[in-house]
Amino acid sequence: MRRTVLSALALAGTAVLLGTGPAFADGATTPSPVPSAASPSTQPKESTEPTRTPEPTRAPGKGEPTRAPSQGEPTRAPAGGQVSVRPSGAPDTGVTASQDSGTGGTAIGAGAAAVLALGGGTVFVVRRRRATGA
Amino acid sequence: MSPFSRRAFAAGALASLLTACGGHGTTGHRTTGPGTADTAGHDPTARRPRTTAGPVPADSARPLARSVPVRLLIPVIGVDTPVIRLGLAADGTVQVPPVTDHDRAGWYRHSPTPGETGPSVLLGHVTVGPYGDGVFRHLARLHRGDRIEARLENGTTAQFAVTAVRTVPKTDFPADDVYGNVGRPELRLITCGGTRTGDGYADNVIVFAALSGANLPTPGER
Repeated sequence: MRRTVLSALALAGTAVLLGTGPAFADGATTPSPVPSAASPSTQPKESTEPTRTPEPTRAPGKGEPTRAPSQGEPTRAPAGGQVSVRPSGAPDTGVTASQDSGTGGTAIGAGAAAVLALGGGTVFVVRRRRATGA
Repeated sequence: MSPFSRRAFAAGALASLLTACGGHGTTGHRTTGPGTADTAGHDPTARRPRTTAGPVPADSARPLARSVPVRLLIPVIGVDTPVIRLGLAADGTVQVPPVTDHDRAGWYRHSPTPGETGPSVLLGHVTVGPYGDGVFRHLARLHRGDRIEARLENGTTAQFAVTAVRTVPKTDFPADDVYGNVGRPELRLITCGGTRTGDGYADNVIVFAALSGANLPTPGER
């Protein structure tokens, strides 16, 4: 009898440990802040602001694209643009986290429940067999 | 079953339940981004086509001298962020602020400074991946008349009033409305919104605002 109870408790403890293991693994993979050296490198380092004088064309060596690539619409004359260089496309201002990161908790819970159900079934069968004297 | 067995089962079931909840909690904390991103994706305020536009304020303030923005405040959605400078990415798109824990807004340096005549363009993330919410997470909640402040390097605070909030598909980005010439000082705040597509979003949320006033620095303040 006592052995049965103890085995059931051990089973429960195992289920908890199964759950906490991946949780710790999650924590370990939590991304650290982006290295500070990487961030500034993505930002322009210019110390002087571009002048407000209209620029009819850009030097080809600067790696900047041609302006006003807007989608099929007639654009204003580049020479008079208040925005001196018009970016192409739409800004990408949203980064979502990976899709699978939210399923960890569900998997842990389902695994623990499966382990518990299996253990419980085993205990039940053993007790029935003992009760019937088999 | 004996009472002992029942207790053992009850303990096991409780442990299982706690494990499941704990797993959710841990993951939820770490992935604030996807949770909130999903919310953003189904944000009823971000359905397209949507424009909370209206007549623009008639009493636009006078243009200000050129001075780069150093801070942006949007009190109604709790934004108070430093402003970095952004240029163009290698592919010709506008640079966006780096994806970091402490997200910031950025000013597109080829656009007028806030308060100058023309559309001053500022960008910020709605979410920053594993770090959770971006600085412009609630930009779509703004309404016409809401106040926006841009603090400039010269000590001036340019005050703007929202004139329109638009959610547009990225495939149909209104470049002319955003970057085109205007006859007064205006502001464009841009972030992402709409449904999620892979690791990004399908839409852009664009806030249009016009200069409504300015607090000039006192002589001893600069």
